[in-house]
Amino acid sequence: MFSMRIDKIIRHSDDVSTLFFSSRLRSYPGQFIMLNLPRYEEIPLSLSSPNSVTVRAVGETTYALIRLSAGEIVGIRGPFGKPFTPTDGKALLVAGGIGAAPLYYLHDYLKRRGAEVKVLFGARKAEELVWKDRFSVLMVATDDGSEGLRGTVIDLLKEEELQQYDRIYVCGPEEMLRKAFTHLKEKEVLGKAEFSLERYMKCGIGVCGTCILEDGSRVCAEGPVFSGKDLEGVEF
Amino acid sequence: MLEIDVASLKMKSPLVLASGVLGSFSPSLSRVAEHAGAVVTKSVGLQPREGYRTPVIINTPHGLINAVGLSSPGCEEFSKELSKFRGDAKLIVSLFASEPDDFVKLSSYFDMADAFELNLSCPHVSDAGLTVGSDPELVKEIVEKMKSRSSKPVFPKLSAATDYIEVAKAAEEGGADGIVAINTLRGMAIDIGTRKPILSNISGGVSGEGIKPIAMKVVWDLYEELEIPVIASGGATTWRDVIEFILAGARAVQIGSAFFYSYRVFYSIKESLIAYLRKEKISLNELVGMAHKTV
Ligand SMILES: Cc1cc2nc3c(=O)[nH]c(=O)nc-3n(C[C@H](O)[C@H](O)[C@H](O)COP(=O)(O)OP(=O)(O)OC[C@H]3O[C@@H](n4cnc5c(N)ncnc54)[C@H](O)[C@@H]3O)c2cc1C
Ligand SMILES: Cc1cc2nc3c(=O)[nH]c(=O)nc-3n(C[C@H](O)[C@H](O)[C@H](O)COP(=O)(O)O)c2cc1C
Ligand code: FES
Repeated sequence: MFSMRIDKIIRHSDDVSTLFFSSRLRSYPGQFIMLNLPRYEEIPLSLSSPNSVTVRAVGETTYALIRLSAGEIVGIRGPFGKPFTPTDGKALLVAGGIGAAPLYYLHDYLKRRGAEVKVLFGARKAEELVWKDRFSVLMVATDDGSEGLRGTVIDLLKEEELQQYDRIYVCGPEEMLRKAFTHLKEKEVLGKAEFSLERYMKCGIGVCGTCILEDGSRVCAEGPVFSGKDLEGVEF
Repeated sequence: MLEIDVASLKMKSPLVLASGVLGSFSPSLSRVAEHAGAVVTKSVGLQPREGYRTPVIINTPHGLINAVGLSSPGCEEFSKELSKFRGDAKLIVSLFASEPDDFVKLSSYFDMADAFELNLSCPHVSDAGLTVGSDPELVKEIVEKMKSRSSKPVFPKLSAATDYIEVAKAAEEGGADGIVAINTLRGMAIDIGTRKPILSNISGGVSGEGIKPIAMKVVWDLYEELEIPVIASGGATTWRDVIEFILAGARAVQIGSAFFYSYRVFYSIKESLIAYLRKEKISLNELVGMAHKTV
């Protein structure tokens, strides 16, 4: 473990902030860190860039994190986990809510490699389309229709001509992942799709056994990014 | 080629998954079982137990420090989970309790177990583990009670931080079928940035490469002192470590922390062991304790 200073914080909304660290982590998009704010729990967070995490408040630790002030010191282990497989071709990024976090990093990374990147971003309401100007080619959907299509990101996905993409990357809540999986399977494009999964994690390094999928895979080590093919027949 | 008997357990290999590592759910136990002789489950107690708040595990350059705090769903839930075990290896259920009768009661929940390991050595809980395993009389009584109720092999797991020879002899007198040694050793780490102990429990148990020489000495001593088989645990990471433990007297070798490096450790160690035995034209049985004959 090592510790880093928080240099800067952006408060995107009431419950989402991005925390910037004092230096960049050698990492790849899709990887996560175990972050420990002293006196709180240590939790897994995806990198939203080589030097940031984007956090949504859902409980004790995440509430404390989004309210931090610059200058505080946090403990970090990692980066851990299997990253997304990059492409130089055409990429489709599918983000649901805070699931956008690792995709900010992936977006910039792919663009730098010369890939053509399109993003589908869904949330409950307009305010939850956090940091959407990070994405250059973007289509949005909101449950309440306050911005973009009234509906879900799955509705946007269904409008896409999927054959044209070299890779499709999906991250979001479980329900959305499952629906995306079903659709991509129907369209027979699972082979080029990748999904970022979440499980409760204690160690992040493949030993404690809390994050196990039905086929025995460890989300923290074989994942969190799994190919569509790997997930066939696995309940997730 | 790697078949070996440990007490009445006929194992297809001397490689055993250590307790608490990938041992909370059947899918991971089943997956590890593919290339293991046996798998030991996470230690289970009578009641559900939360475990400590995170951080509960730290990775250091020489191994891990953990204070998971024996988190467990309790024996009823856990027996349901283990009924889904489909692995091709012996299933050893690890039990923790404070009283002899509670160990016996616990074991009655696990019909699917091929053997039991008794956790008498966890260093970071106050009412079980090492607290129990430091008392030779109590250890003997626990083993006697377990053996009087069940014919399944019973393997007490001891700590290096006790008079382990005395405790192991007491366990042998009580009828233990083998001894597992060692568990983690007390340790801690402080972050110099935040200037605070890292683990929520402040201290924990050290495992991995760094503790191998300590485990080696305990296995060596127990092989000299006991008739019953010794199962090594502590720092085994490569096939060379496994051979080293066998030379010191272990009939089987547990592996835990090395899963940090790869899910495939059992497969690669297994393949290397086969290659080694072929090249050296020697059997595992001949190798057990061989280093003792050289001194
Ligand atoms: C690989 C990985 C990457 C993640 N990346 C991000 C990220 O980039 N940004 C982000 O905001 N969150 C991310 N999460 C989720 C984040 O770890 C949880 O929100 C956090 O652990 C909750 O801690 P808490 O103490 O605030 O809440 P708690 O008080 O522990 O829990 C509050 C609520 O959140 C739920 N919860 C707790 N842990 C998790 C979890 N691991 N996954 C899903 N739900 C959980 C609980 O069931 C409960 O309903 C990620 C999780 C994983 C496994
Ligand atoms: C995360 C973790 C959890 C553990 N949990 C238990 C446990 O529940 N019961 C037990 O007897 N030993 C437990 N141990 C100890 C291991 O079984 C093993 O004896 C020790 O880690 C040394 O072996 P190793 O270096 O191969 O990991 C645990 C170890 C680790 C790293
Ligand atoms: S979080 Fe411990 S094994 Fe994945």
